Amino acid sequence: MFAAADRKESETMPGPAPRSSEEQVSHGHGDRLIAALSRDSWMPLAATATGSIATTAVALALPAALAAAVNAVVTGRGALTATAYLALLLAGAALAEVATGITSTTATASAIGTLRLRVAGHLLSADVSGATRFSTGELVNRLVSNTATAGSAPVTLLGTLTGVAASAGAVVALFAVDPRAGLAFLAGTPVLVVVLRVFVSRVSGLYDEYQSAQGRLAARLTETLAGIRTVRAAGTASREIDRVLRPLADLSSTGHALWRAQSRTVWQIMLLMPLVEILVLAVAGLGVAEGRLTPGALVAVAGYAALGLTFVEQIDPLLGLAYGRSAAVRVLEVLALPVLPAGRRRLPDGPGALSFRGVTVTRGDARVLDDVDLEIPAGALTAVVGRSGAGKTTLAMLAGRLTEPDRGRVLLDGLSLSDLEPGCLRDAVAYAFERPALLGGDIASAIAYGTAGTTREAVRAAARAAEVDDVVSRLPLGYDTPSAGAPLSGGEIQRLGLARALLRRARLTILDDATSGLDTVTEAQVTRTLVEGMRGRTRLVVAHRPATAARADLVIWLEAGRVRGRGTHRELWRHRDYRDLFAPDAPDSRGEPHGGEPAGVASRQEASCPR
Amino acid sequence: MSAVTTARRQSPPASPPPAGDRAQGPWRLLAALLRRRPRPLALVMAWSIVEAAPALLSGLLVATAVDRGFRAGRPGLGLVLLGLLAAAMLVGAIATRLMFPHLAAVVEPLRDDLVRAVVEATVTHASAGEQAPDGAAVNRLTEQIETVRALLSAVLRNTRQVGVAVVAAVAGLLLLSPLAAAVVAGPVLVAAFAFVRLLRLLAARQRDLLLAGERLTAEVTPALGGLRDIAACGARDQARESVRSLVAAQAAAMRALAWAGARRRLVVTIGAHVPMVALLLAAGPLTASGRLTAGEIVGALTYLSTGLEPAVRTLLGTVGSWGITLAVTAQRLGDVVTPLPPRDEPACVPETPVGHDLRTDRLTFAYSPRAEPVVRELDLTVGEGEHLVVVGPSGIGKSTLAMLLSGLRRPTEGVVRLGGLALDAVPRRHLHEVVALVPQEAYVFAGTVRENLGYLRPAGEATADERLLAAADAVGAGPLLTRLGGLDGAIDEPSTLSAGERQLVTLARAYASRARIVILDEATCHLDPAGEARAEAAFAARQGTLIVIAHRVSSAARADRVLLLDGARAITGTHRDLVTRSPLYADLVGHWNHDAPGRDRLPE
Repeated sequence: MFAAADRKESETMPGPAPRSSEEQVSHGHGDRLIAALSRDSWMPLAATATGSIATTAVALALPAALAAAVNAVVTGRGALTATAYLALLLAGAALAEVATGITSTTATASAIGTLRLRVAGHLLSADVSGATRFSTGELVNRLVSNTATAGSAPVTLLGTLTGVAASAGAVVALFAVDPRAGLAFLAGTPVLVVVLRVFVSRVSGLYDEYQSAQGRLAARLTETLAGIRTVRAAGTASREIDRVLRPLADLSSTGHALWRAQSRTVWQIMLLMPLVEILVLAVAGLGVAEGRLTPGALVAVAGYAALGLTFVEQIDPLLGLAYGRSAAVRVLEVLALPVLPAGRRRLPDGPGALSFRGVTVTRGDARVLDDVDLEIPAGALTAVVGRSGAGKTTLAMLAGRLTEPDRGRVLLDGLSLSDLEPGCLRDAVAYAFERPALLGGDIASAIAYGTAGTTREAVRAAARAAEVDDVVSRLPLGYDTPSAGAPLSGGEIQRLGLARALLRRARLTILDDATSGLDTVTEAQVTRTLVEGMRGRTRLVVAHRPATAARADLVIWLEAGRVRGRGTHRELWRHRDYRDLFAPDAPDSRGEPHGGEPAGVASRQEASCPR
Repeated sequence: MSAVTTARRQSPPASPPPAGDRAQGPWRLLAALLRRRPRPLALVMAWSIVEAAPALLSGLLVATAVDRGFRAGRPGLGLVLLGLLAAAMLVGAIATRLMFPHLAAVVEPLRDDLVRAVVEATVTHASAGEQAPDGAAVNRLTEQIETVRALLSAVLRNTRQVGVAVVAAVAGLLLLSPLAAAVVAGPVLVAAFAFVRLLRLLAARQRDLLLAGERLTAEVTPALGGLRDIAACGARDQARESVRSLVAAQAAAMRALAWAGARRRLVVTIGAHVPMVALLLAAGPLTASGRLTAGEIVGALTYLSTGLEPAVRTLLGTVGSWGITLAVTAQRLGDVVTPLPPRDEPACVPETPVGHDLRTDRLTFAYSPRAEPVVRELDLTVGEGEHLVVVGPSGIGKSTLAMLLSGLRRPTEGVVRLGGLALDAVPRRHLHEVVALVPQEAYVFAGTVRENLGYLRPAGEATADERLLAAADAVGAGPLLTRLGGLDGAIDEPSTLSAGERQLVTLARAYASRARIVILDEATCHLDPAGEARAEAAFAARQGTLIVIAHRVSSAARADRVLLLDGARAITGTHRDLVTRSPLYADLVGHWNHDAPGRDRLPE
């Protein structure tokens, strides 16, 4: 029961911390979260408290009732009444314990549920670029595991409080019966408390280490599984197993250290507790011998001393609370992500003109976009080109308010995107991505995701426009094939994402590299849809291929977060640096070094390779 | 290596295990693991019995000290008896201290074995082509292993308490008064029966809870991975609603378990409290007829209230709660660690192929017998040192061909030969060394740059740094290498590299390998065209065969020969050949040239 390693609510390990947390979240914040949780589920908590108080009261009354019943039976007077009273108490105890068990679980379940919904709701309305800084696994961990640990804290806290109160009450009672015995109890406990404190601090540090070793192991396994095709091809499965298992040595040694810490301390506690009891008993015993105490009082002293020592049992819940606090902090790190506040204004009809006014976006120390002013003409196809890390994707995310600029404004038909009511905004802007996530179950719902009440015919029309109808028809269950595990290539998934965007017939459609995985023929067909099929609607296309740029009405050329040039593809083609963006082997294309790109995002190629 | 792999079953893992097997599943895994360390297990049991001794003595010693000592006016005797108790406690505490190392010796290696078994099974299954669990599932596995470790140690420490206490209470009662024991026996037997029945319900509820948790994780993972898409589709409410129903289902499973658990408390009532009341009710008539003495009544009730009741409670907690969770969790882990059937290596003395030319003979591949073949009757020869580029619309089977050529998929019909020897007959080691397949998704792992670049070199080889540096330079990863801090630089978080940078790492790795046949399966798709051209030129200049599954048609113009797949058939020829012979190819090139005016035009 003292064993910290015996905890069953062991929680998945903290993964790597988010690289830049916007705000430092402290344990104090975690405590406030737990307090708020307690307030939210106060009813089952109050019921739990009542139940445990009743349980304690009955437990205190039982020995006396049993003694009375035995006396009554032996003497033969009032045996039935005493037995009935005992039976009543026993039934009461059962009822109180059953009720406490159920209400405490109800309280915990409701606290966990509330917290999970809060985290999910927050993530769903958060600034996308902030939320995606956490890995998916990390988000799942916080939504599923950390909430469970933090959500158990209120009930644990309640249990600790009642436990401590019972102990304290017993000590007071002990003093009331015999002050000397009370003093003997108090004389013995400080040593015990010191031993406990040393134990807890020693074990918590080790437990953190243990969790971090667990996390390293899980991270390595995840990594290997993500690259499993390479592992298969290289036949390195057994080497990978060794690599993944490397942190196991740390895990094992920390595990053994935990046991050593326990073995060093637990026996002292196991010895100290009865010694305190014996000391108290000896003092009371001498009191009886001196005639200062009655024999009955001796029994009471023994009972209260034992009850008083039950505070030691609070160690495990206290450790649980410590984990609950850390978990609450990790949950709060997610809840501290900036959200995009919903606007109120409705968007009147308009042609779909998009403007960037002095837009700056910084990530860490790097300026991803630096004071960008841009007009994207309504009804036209505008291509955004530039090297990796030039800020193209950020620009695309800003254009539909998936993220918000640190400075400046983005306007659609003259209205700031941040003022718009979310439903209006989503009706007006559609997105297709390089690697879309297929959500909603089967292929048809993946295409119609977010547009309730779409007919199958509309879904198929969109799929045809995205040149993916044939692909879907060849799937085992056609449009009813579950998206997860469907045999689809990257290019095919991309086309499904494109169909999803086309279905919405939005005023502004943003394609972020959404055709990069397509072969040349399919890409040509899709481009035709973009150029001709969507004529009159505003299209903003991030592209690496010259194909798209050549067909665009306007090309925006980004470099290191600034607009390097704008014009038609032909006009811009005069710049050597612009040609270098596409040119496979220009002999003297080593351009100027492109300063200012954020480290770690840029894939800088040197295009010179004389043959 | 591990107990689980040693206890390898011969049944194929693909088919679900038969129901009977499943029923004994939870204990099979645990028993196999525990059997491996009988000595520490026995020592834990032995020491924990010693540990329990003082608790058994305490009642007797305290009672004697009070009755014969303090109350009888002999405080000296009382103190001596209490001193004896203290000495017994010391023995118990020492036993506790001595027991821990043995407990650690059982539980820690068991955890190690479990981790090893899970990692081995997961990686082996995934590398055999089965669907791999995602990151969230991996975290869940970690959690389940930890649950097994924690609960097992708790159960080991507590089982003896149950055993000793139950035996002591029952034996004491029988010795004291067989008649009282008879009165008590009825309800206790009913309780035992009810408990056994209850265990099934508890196991089912516990399993439901576990599954609800797994479902929550499984369904929430794609949603959290697609936050951007949800926002972009305006599907926030839809997503929130589906999370809400999963969260509610999990909470409902928690409550259902709590309700089932409440019945545990009723077992205490039937097994311990009903006998007390029954004994008290029976005591009147029995003492009146002289068949039971007052002392016997007091003694029997003492055994019931201080012996049997706590024992029943501990039993319910240990077996009915921890044991159930332990069993259910171990069973889930057991599902994961089903071993693979041994791979059929060529039985005869393995031959090593002569030469490195690749030939396919009527090569056909279909995902299922009824499905349209992805590759149909392909005859292809790739000579040693040749540079072949495969071109065709996406979804036409280019990647499948790459897998077939590297031996990762078995042909449905026909055969692939390496140096004249069918791939099936080529020893795996040789094949892995000779053929390097670089897939589109670049595998970069946390480690040093040197480890990453030397990955395809034989393990333990003192890889010359110059070779790795030269490889990095050749494919255009030189600047990246410098930025990462050279070969000794650490890649702590591979995800901080861009997709293009990760591809550069895997390209340099393949370049530095000893492979004689390199297959690039769209391995340069995240590079810009200039980077792609440079990398392909480097591989073309490298000794050995180069097969490129083209992402851009511009790759084709650089090849010795082009293989064009258009679904119906496959044509090979040089770039110039195909422009005139194949309208599809001419179309592709024309389209490309339309986009790339000026000097990047491909010859038409």
